[in-house]
Amino acid sequence: MAAAYCGLFRIPFHGGHPLFLQIFSVIAPVFVCAGIGFVWGRAGRPFDTRMVGALALNLGMPCLAFSALTKLKVSPEAFAEMAGAYALVLGCFLVVGLISITVMRLPAHTFLPVFTSSNTGNMGLPLCLFAFGPEGLALGICVFVLSSLFSFTVGWSIYAGRVAADVFYNNPLIYAVAIALVFMVTDTPPPVWLANTTALMGGLAIPLMLISLGVAISKMRAEGAGRIIIICTVKLIAGFAVGYGIATLLGLEGAARGALIIESAMPVAVHNYMFAQKFNRNTADTASMILVSTAISLASLPLLMLIVL
Amino acid sequence: MDIISQLAGVIVPVFICVGFGVLWSKIGTPFDSGLITSLVYNVGAPCLILATFQKVELSPAAMGEIALATLACYAAFTVIGFGLLRLLRLDLPSYLPSLIFPLTGSMGLPVSYFAFGDEGLALAIVYFTFGAIGTFTIGAAIAEGKLSYAKLARAPVLYAVVIAVTLQLTGGRLPEWIFNTTDLLGGMVIPAQLVALGVSLLDLRTGGATRSAFLGAFRLAMGVAVGVAIAWAFGLDGPARAIVIIQSAMPVAISSYLFAQKFGRKPEEVAGMVVSSTALSFVTLPFLLLLVL
Repeated sequence: MAAAYCGLFRIPFHGGHPLFLQIFSVIAPVFVCAGIGFVWGRAGRPFDTRMVGALALNLGMPCLAFSALTKLKVSPEAFAEMAGAYALVLGCFLVVGLISITVMRLPAHTFLPVFTSSNTGNMGLPLCLFAFGPEGLALGICVFVLSSLFSFTVGWSIYAGRVAADVFYNNPLIYAVAIALVFMVTDTPPPVWLANTTALMGGLAIPLMLISLGVAISKMRAEGAGRIIIICTVKLIAGFAVGYGIATLLGLEGAARGALIIESAMPVAVHNYMFAQKFNRNTADTASMILVSTAISLASLPLLMLIVL
Repeated sequence: MDIISQLAGVIVPVFICVGFGVLWSKIGTPFDSGLITSLVYNVGAPCLILATFQKVELSPAAMGEIALATLACYAAFTVIGFGLLRLLRLDLPSYLPSLIFPLTGSMGLPVSYFAFGDEGLALAIVYFTFGAIGTFTIGAAIAEGKLSYAKLARAPVLYAVVIAVTLQLTGGRLPEWIFNTTDLLGGMVIPAQLVALGVSLLDLRTGGATRSAFLGAFRLAMGVAVGVAIAWAFGLDGPARAIVIIQSAMPVAISSYLFAQKFGRKPEEVAGMVVSSTALSFVTLPFLLLLVL
């Protein structure tokens, strides 16, 4: 019951549809929500992106992460294994990202985080659920939380261009994860009121981020499209290769292997746009990379699913 | 103890989300309530309606029953409100909409949902939809002094309800991708409204304290009485009875304030009614739930 507003967990599974249709139903919301923002922006309606961003990042995301973590049904060992594997993936992403931006002579503050933060939440989780059932979802959540934590600390610092202490004390997500971990480690379920509140507030994060993304896209002009397509392709291929490599290296099997590969191969995360805006980085390029990489994955995902299933 | 934790599970989320809004406004961060209202009414609420009706199955009889009970409640509020205002010699355009329309969206929906799950939410949405359509047509018409059919035709919730009801009656289902999208977008309705409510509670400039406090309290008392009476008259039981009572007993809707402000109908006093009845409902809500649970 508490999960009902956490859009992530409500993707029902109906057997019998062709694979592509199933994947489409997971990806379509990203485009429809961004499309609503796009129409909103084109219609010239006012949209205070900063306010909406603050609402999504300061209230929505921490609640979403808390809610996801405390509902997790997975042993601490499996959690640690998955988190460790994804930490390795993130390390590889940093290396790939650094090489790419050096070769292409791009500024790190806009382009590096694009490599390290993927859409492990609203795209990765339904795919993990669809492919491996509740176990896949639980493992996907491990990745989602670690990935968000990484984005909100390391990614945040890269956008800010400095390693600031406020990354830690001024960051609601860290508190939310810390409190959730206390509940997890002591194996106590959070009180009903807390579970309900965080599930409710968590529902804000993703729709608001996607709509603002659409508004942003409606206000920008296409330029440097070739560069963006190259970066997105590199990100997606490297993501898949790294996920596959680490899973093989660690000898992961079944749901753990599949969830790691799926999550590693996800397109650019939506909150990058919020960060780019917060720190006055290149929001137009960031928004394009989010959309272009998501569009490419529409084509590449069926292939990915065939490999992991 | 069990009932306390059950009550807390329903009420505390509402408090905390409103509290976030109050905190937001205290910190002094700008908050564009107009944008949030517009997003909620044009995008979020229609999606919430579509997604919720996909999740539950209500029989045509159950839907008809709650719809009729809802209309009866609104009719009773109108008649009683009209009578009271005539008795007190207060002008109708300023005060009547606040007495008729309860806060069925931001407060009624989460309370119904946490108390009765998806079924409660679906029933509460029927009530909410009539209220939303009514507020933006009749409520606005009372405040403005004339009725606008164009407003009715432009209310997206109306179309969402028509689609949702048609699907329920024909046993049709939304395609998976539309359901996923509406479920995602519908998730923002309640938290966004609650935070906006919290922000506006502090921003509202209130006036006419005694009279607005009396009218606010009257709205709550009338709501419970009418809800209980109508539920009894229609022979409702279980969640349907509870939802009619809960929704009827909600405080003054914030939209009444928006119209009062827009059309210059004593916005300070209407704000006073909103604030006093909301504050009072935080105290009365546990008792209301004890009555229906």
